[in-house]
Amino acid sequence: MPVEEHEFAERLLSIYENVLLTEEQALSKGYFSDLSNAEMHTLDAIGPYEARTMTETATNLGITTGTLTVAIDRLVKKGYVVRKRDEVDRRVVRISLTKNGKLASRIHNKFHTVLAKRILEPYTPEEQELLMRMVTDIDSYIESQKQRYGSSDSIRKTAKSVASDSRRRDDNG
Amino acid sequence: MDDSNADPRERMNNEEELDEIKMKDLILDDLVKMLTDMLDISPVDITPDLRIFDDLDIDSLQLYELVVDLEEVYSIRMPDEALDGVKTVDDVVDLVYRLSAQTEH
Repeated sequence: MPVEEHEFAERLLSIYENVLLTEEQALSKGYFSDLSNAEMHTLDAIGPYEARTMTETATNLGITTGTLTVAIDRLVKKGYVVRKRDEVDRRVVRISLTKNGKLASRIHNKFHTVLAKRILEPYTPEEQELLMRMVTDIDSYIESQKQRYGSSDSIRKTAKSVASDSRRRDDNG
Repeated sequence: MDDSNADPRERMNNEEELDEIKMKDLILDDLVKMLTDMLDISPVDITPDLRIFDDLDIDSLQLYELVVDLEEVYSIRMPDEALDGVKTVDDVVDLVYRLSAQTEH
């Protein structure tokens, strides 16, 4: 193979780690420095428009409703999320973003699109399409591996430990 | 001027145009109010041709504050793609008008 496998693997891993790290640093230096990366993704999962149920949001994030409840408690306290009882079915609690929550989520999404824009910019339209195809292939392959290893529990554990590490760093910082 | 003899279709168009102008005036009023509150400047300093980033010097957080407020007031969704071409105060008014006309129909 013209490409060294171990070098390719290192690059992939480096992208994964650096995207997380850059996001975290951008968050800690930005307007919403009291939010961890995991919390920001919780806001994204709730989304800026319709109020969501806890179950829906937990499924989106691949976590249990128990874990989500703890996260939402914290986000309510920080003023990013509000809980409301469903008008029709009073047993159902819906969560939605406050104005600050919407702002945080939109700024964060902007960060992603700017990152993508800067990465794509130097390439011709044809090259961009090729790059998109290759990145999609990489994503699908890794997704299929995730399925192969049964449930997403092990991936979840990794994601959880990354999230708790970043929280710990936040708390110490 | 009395236009009762005009072609009814033409009159309808005129009324629609009038509605559009009225609606855009309302949006501009709201936007000027939001901008004066946010930037602590006088409403007379804000004209429709002002560029929001270059002349008014608003940053991305302030832009999204406007966007979130306008979304709420006009029950519309303003995705980032729609915001890409926005440069002047008038562009924002046009966009809000277009998006709210879409949701009504």
